[in-house]
Amino acid sequence: MEQTAVRFEHVSMAFPGVLANDDVSLEIKKGEVFALVGENGAGKSTLMNILYGILTPTDGRVYINGSPVDRFAPRAAIARGVGMVHQHFMLVPSFTVAENIVLSREPRKGRIFFDSAAARRETEALSAEYGLAVDPSAVVGDLSVGLQQRVEILKALHRGAEILILDEPTAVLTPQETEELFAVIRRIVGQRHMTVIIITHKLYEVMAISDRVGVMRKGQLVGVRDTADVDEKLLASMMVGRPMLYDELEKTGTPGKELLRVEDLKVRDSRGLAAVRGVSLSVRAGEVLGIAAVEGNGQSELIEAITGMIRPESGKVFLLDRDVTGQDPGAIRAVGLAHVPEDRLATGVSAQATVADNLLAGRQREKRFTRFGFHRRMSTVERYASQLYERFDIRGAGTQAPAGSMSGGNMQKVVIAREFSFDAPVLIVAQPTRGVDVGAIEFIHSQIIAKRNQGCAILLCSADLDEVFRLSDRIVTLYEGRITGEFSGTFSKDEIGWHMTGGGKREEAG
Amino acid sequence: MDKLKKLNWGYLGSLAVSVLLAFAIGAAILAVAGFDPLRAYAAMAEGAFSSARHIGDLLEYAMVLCLTGLACVLGSRVGIFNVGGEGQLLLGAVVSCQVGVWLGSFSPWIALPAAALAAMAVGGLYALIPGFLKVKVKVNEVITTIMLNTIAASLCQYLAKGPWKNPNKNMVAATAQLDPRLWFKSLIPGSNLSTAILAAAVITVLTWYVMEKTSKGYEMRLTGQNPRFAFFSGIKTDRLVIGCMVISGAMCGLVGMFRVYGVEHLYRSSVSNQYYFEGLTVAMIAGYQPVTVIFLSFFFAILKTGAQGMELTAGVPNQIYLIIQTVIIFCMAAESGVFSSLRAGAQRRKAQEDIRRKEGRDHA
Repeated sequence: MEQTAVRFEHVSMAFPGVLANDDVSLEIKKGEVFALVGENGAGKSTLMNILYGILTPTDGRVYINGSPVDRFAPRAAIARGVGMVHQHFMLVPSFTVAENIVLSREPRKGRIFFDSAAARRETEALSAEYGLAVDPSAVVGDLSVGLQQRVEILKALHRGAEILILDEPTAVLTPQETEELFAVIRRIVGQRHMTVIIITHKLYEVMAISDRVGVMRKGQLVGVRDTADVDEKLLASMMVGRPMLYDELEKTGTPGKELLRVEDLKVRDSRGLAAVRGVSLSVRAGEVLGIAAVEGNGQSELIEAITGMIRPESGKVFLLDRDVTGQDPGAIRAVGLAHVPEDRLATGVSAQATVADNLLAGRQREKRFTRFGFHRRMSTVERYASQLYERFDIRGAGTQAPAGSMSGGNMQKVVIAREFSFDAPVLIVAQPTRGVDVGAIEFIHSQIIAKRNQGCAILLCSADLDEVFRLSDRIVTLYEGRITGEFSGTFSKDEIGWHMTGGGKREEAG
Repeated sequence: MDKLKKLNWGYLGSLAVSVLLAFAIGAAILAVAGFDPLRAYAAMAEGAFSSARHIGDLLEYAMVLCLTGLACVLGSRVGIFNVGGEGQLLLGAVVSCQVGVWLGSFSPWIALPAAALAAMAVGGLYALIPGFLKVKVKVNEVITTIMLNTIAASLCQYLAKGPWKNPNKNMVAATAQLDPRLWFKSLIPGSNLSTAILAAAVITVLTWYVMEKTSKGYEMRLTGQNPRFAFFSGIKTDRLVIGCMVISGAMCGLVGMFRVYGVEHLYRSSVSNQYYFEGLTVAMIAGYQPVTVIFLSFFFAILKTGAQGMELTAGVPNQIYLIIQTVIIFCMAAESGVFSSLRAGAQRRKAQEDIRRKEGRDHA
C-alpha cells in the first residue's frame, strides 16, 4: 500500500524580481527517500521552506498526509510531523545535547522548572530507539559537525517528525561521516517507515541513497524519475538543460622548477589558537597541489599566511625563491602571486563598487589606467573591464552595475577574471566553485587547468573533494593543522578520506 | 545624455520630497505658533538676499559648511567617521592666531603661510590620535573623537584665558588681536566674506578631484567599502585610513584659521558655534557625495542666513531653521526604508502578475 506523504499542487513562489518556484506539482510517497537536485538558485530550498512553513507560497496548494495546509508556519508544520535539518545548524552551541534536543518542548518539574534528568532520559531513549548514538551531556559546541547534525536529526525526531527534510546535509561532512549519515537514513526509513527528502547537488549521493529523484531547474520541476532508471550524466544534463560532459581535463607538460615553498609554517587563528602547526610544502611550475581537508583544519589560515592576509607565528614562505614571510598582500602580489580567496563576499569583491572597479583592483596604478600617474583614465578602465567581462563569460547587468547585484557564480567569475589576468606565476585558489552552478564550474575548472598548462604553480584548496581529485596533480591531506599524508598518481578516495580525519596519525600512534 | 542618466535620480527625488516636507512641517509649526507661514518664508528669502552684507555672510557660512562637510566625507570615504572636527577646528584657530600674534611684525607672505601650516599641523596631529587608535588597536573613533572635542574646547579656553590672553583686561577669554596687515581682505564690506573663500574654492575643487578622479580616490573608495578586500588587493589600508583622517583634521584646522583671519581677527569661542557638526550634518544629508555637499552647503547657508533675517523682520525665532534641517535629516533617513519597501512591494506585485500572465498563456 503506497500512501502520499506530501503533495504539491501548482505551487509558485514569487520573490521580488525572481520566480523561485514556478508551478511545481510533486508527490512524495510515504516511506521513500526522495532526492531533490538542481543548481544553486533552482528553487529546491524554497520548495522545502514552503513545506516546512517558513515561506507562504504565492500560488498553489500543499497537502501533508492528504490534508491541505491552510496556514504556513513552522509550528504548524512540526505539528503535522514535518522536520527539517537546515544547512546551517539551528543549535545552541553552549547547551548540552539533551538540552538542545528537548528545546521548545522541555520536560518540566512542577510546571516551572526545567527537568534536566528527564531531558537526559528522553534523549537516551530516543537515541537507543533510532540507533543514533550521542552523549546527552556533551556540550554541542564541542561536537564535530557530523555529530551536531545527528543532534539536529534527533531534535526533529523528538518533535515527532515523520517527514524529514535534509538541506544539503553532506556539504560539511567527510566521506566517512557521509556514509554514517546514509546508514542512519536507511535505518529510519527501513525500520520506522519515515519519509526523507534530501536536498543535494552531489549526484553520486543521489545514486547512493535515494529511491526517487526530482530535478529542478530555474524554479521548475523538470523531471521526477526512479533513481534506478537514471545515471549521473543524465541527471547533470537535466539540471543544466543540455548535455553535460564531464570530460577528462587535458593536462599537458611536466612540472618545472619550484615556485612556492613553505617551510615549517605555524599560524594562530583570530582567537589566538594554533591553527597551522608546522606545515611544509612546495609547488612547482605547471602543477596543481591540492589540499584536502575538512573545514576548520587550518587550511584557511595556511592560505592567509602564505598570501599575507595574516602574519604567521613562525616558519618561512618563499615565492620565486624570495622570502616573503609576513609581508603585506600588496608586496607579495608584486613578487608574483594572485589569490582567489575562499570567501568572495568578505574578501574577493567590494559589493558596492561597480563590476569594472572590481575587475580593476590591484591594477589601478598601472600606466595604461592613469594619466600622469594619478588621473584615472576611465575609458581605458571601461574597455579593459568589458574585455574581461566578455572573455570570462560574466553575465549580469554590465560592467557599471554594482558587483553585489550579481549572482554568486558570476561574482566568482569576476574574482577569477581579475586574479587570473595578473599572469602571476603562482596562483592560490581557495574554494573556486563554492556556490557556483554546474555550467560555471566547468568553465572555472578549465581556466584553472589552462593556467596549469601554461606553467603556473597552483595551490588549490577546496571543501569539494571531487574538485580536488579532478584538478590536482598531487594532494596533501591536512588534519588539525598538520599534513597527514601526500598522494600522487591515482588517488583513492577512501585512503585520502581516512588521512583527512587523522587516520594516519592514529595508525602511527597505535 | 549619459551624464544625465548617471545622476542619481532616486536620491534627488527623495531629497526634493524631504525638503518640501520639511518646509510644509515648518509652515504648520509657524501657523500653530501664530505666524503667517507665507510672510515668514518671504522674510526668510528676503533675509538671505536683501543686502550685499547678507549675501557675504551667506557665502562665508557656505564656505565653512562646505569645507567641514568635505572633511567629514574624506574620513567616511575610507570608513572612518571623524566626529572630532570641532576640536580640530578650535585648536587650528587658537594656534594659528597665536602664530600670527608672534609673527605680527613679519610680512604677511611669511606670517600667513606659517599660520596656515600651523593650523593644519595641529588639526592633523589632533586627528592622528583617533586615527592611529582606530587602525592599530581598533578603538572606536566616534567615541575618541567626541571625547577629544571636549578636551580641545577646554584647552583652547584655557589658552585664551591664560598664557595667550588678550592684554586688554576687558576682553575675557580671547587671545590678542592680529595685526590688521595679516587679516584676509574683506570682499564685501561689513560682511564676513573674505579672500579666504578663494583658498576654500581651491581646496574644495582639489578634494573633489582627488576623491572622484584619481587612483588614490579609487583606493579610498575601495577601502571604505570593504577594507578587507582593499587590503587583499594590495592597498596599504592602514596608512590610507590614518592619512585621510590626518588630512580631514588638517582641513578642519584650516577652517579655524579662516575664521580667525577672515572674521574674528582674534581667537574666542565664537570662532565656531558647533560649525563642524553643521558641516557633518550636511555631509550626512548629502550621502557623503562631494558635489552634493557643495550644493547643499549653499542651500543650508541660505536657510540659516535667511532665518536670522526672518527673526529680525518678522519676529520669528530663527530656531525654525533647526526644525527644518532636522526634518530634512529625518525624512532622508526614513526615505531609504520607505522607498525600498515601496520598491519591494512593486516588484512582488509585478512578479505575481508575471505568474498570472504565464498561467494564462499555458491554459490558452
